[in-house]
Amino acid sequence: MSEQEEELEVQALQRQLDDAFETTRPRPGFDDELWLRMQSSRPAKSRLGDAFAGFWEGIREVPAVPAAAVAAVLVVAVGIGIFAYSGLGRGGGGAATSSALSEGASRNYATGTFGRLPTPVFNGGAKSAPTSQGLADTASPEYLGPVQLTWTGKLDLTITTAPVFRYHEPSTNTADQFATALGAVLRERPAGFLGSYSASTYTLKVRGTVQSPQSSPAFFIFSSLSMPPIDAAGAGPSDLADIFLAQHSLSPQWSYAVAVDGSGDPVKVVYQRQFDAPGYGPAFLIDGSARRTGIEVDLSNNRPVLVSGLLPVSLDVASYKVVSAADAIQSAVASSGQGVSATPAPTVKLTQAELVYVLVPAGDHSFYEPAFLFSGSFQLDGKSFLKQVLVPAVDPSQRSP
Amino acid sequence: MPADRPPFEDIYRDYLGRIYAYVRAQVGTSADAEDITAQVFMNAYQAYARFEARNTTPSAWLFRIARNATLDHFRAHGRRERLRRTIEHQPMPEEDPAGQAEDHIQYRALLLQVAQLPERQRDAISLRHSGLSFDEVGRLMGCSEDAAKMLYHRALRALRELVQKERA
Repeated sequence: MSEQEEELEVQALQRQLDDAFETTRPRPGFDDELWLRMQSSRPAKSRLGDAFAGFWEGIREVPAVPAAAVAAVLVVAVGIGIFAYSGLGRGGGGAATSSALSEGASRNYATGTFGRLPTPVFNGGAKSAPTSQGLADTASPEYLGPVQLTWTGKLDLTITTAPVFRYHEPSTNTADQFATALGAVLRERPAGFLGSYSASTYTLKVRGTVQSPQSSPAFFIFSSLSMPPIDAAGAGPSDLADIFLAQHSLSPQWSYAVAVDGSGDPVKVVYQRQFDAPGYGPAFLIDGSARRTGIEVDLSNNRPVLVSGLLPVSLDVASYKVVSAADAIQSAVASSGQGVSATPAPTVKLTQAELVYVLVPAGDHSFYEPAFLFSGSFQLDGKSFLKQVLVPAVDPSQRSP
Repeated sequence: MPADRPPFEDIYRDYLGRIYAYVRAQVGTSADAEDITAQVFMNAYQAYARFEARNTTPSAWLFRIARNATLDHFRAHGRRERLRRTIEHQPMPEEDPAGQAEDHIQYRALLLQVAQLPERQRDAISLRHSGLSFDEVGRLMGCSEDAAKMLYHRALRALRELVQKERA
């Protein structure tokens, strides 16, 4: 071969290399998945509780994903995983408003029509977590040792009944309808999900109820890099979240309060779902970690990177007798943390109590049942902790053992 | 964020494909390339606050991270073993999800042959065809621009021989 021929071959090889390097790209979707992981890799202020472990396999679909990176996403995603949409009323649009449900139907609930209710399980009956402010958790380890509880607060409870809500487990058809309304197209039905759908600027995943740890039917919108930032001069995070939800017809159709965590990137806007308990007022829905939950919009540079919330489901409602304030307090004080400690159990004064709603999965239909959330802070080894105790509100006579 | 530093998202958009291709040419399999590329950008994302544009270009900075990540990968897994597995499991055309495009298969085979070159030759070709100047290649590889050029051309000829041998 002549030198000229050899040179021509080398030049041809260079062109092939140029083409090879220019056309070798990761598989479709890899860029979005990795971007999401990076967005979620900031120091996790929320800790991934044991309660989330069951959801792990369902959402983890990319073998290469480092566990720590996705864990943060799961905290975000599952943290909003408990809430229900009521098709009975549309009271949303402002903070802490009353829904039409309470105004129209609350006083005419049939009593106990769901029969005996399953008893909620609250992570062993009591929960203890480091003190938190707003949405931002501290990074301190959870205190799980035994405590001596006392009650020094005031619980004025005038109600004797409270509504219980029930929904039927959503089907793939429900999920498909939800996706279609958003303009997303079915891509596949991965294990653990009712469906995975794609739209021009995001991937949508829809999941049914998770029995353990309990999580409500939920949707997750993972934005792609083509998702544009929301252009609204002078708008704050909650305004931007409002705009995004309105643009996608996802605005909450129930009462809520808005909480914004701007301590990091992404900024988190949470629409905290409320149920109206006649005679009591709005009661927040809380998740397995006692966090108020609803829809969450995560914004990075004014761009939604993850939006998640509960799948709209129709709710039936029935009224149930609730325990008295004295009985609730007695149950709270009688509970204690798990574990054995060589040191004397710290005494914790529970000072506050509120009515909340919790998910109780029960097969093909599940319930949102009222409960009392007691809380009190205490110091241990120089650290401040918040002790929280959940007590079922429905009278034991109307619950299955 | 300093004015001379572009948003990380821009860097991500601009370089993800190029970094992936560079890594892919080093390790030979898409699964490993995804793992390493992910690690590269996770590391870069965490370190971006310390990136100083006046000292280096985003391109050189990212490829340095990618190069180190690839070397770490080989140290952890053993390059010889990885290559053996790569060659034994060279993807068949029907495994190509993008279809049976002849060029695509040919390019994958070519990158696999790049992956079989000695480390510095492989690196020189991969960096150069990822869009870096010879000056940048030299800086990354710890040699002069001229030395990088010579290394690259030697690598090209070695690759040509590999290709011819494969065809024979």
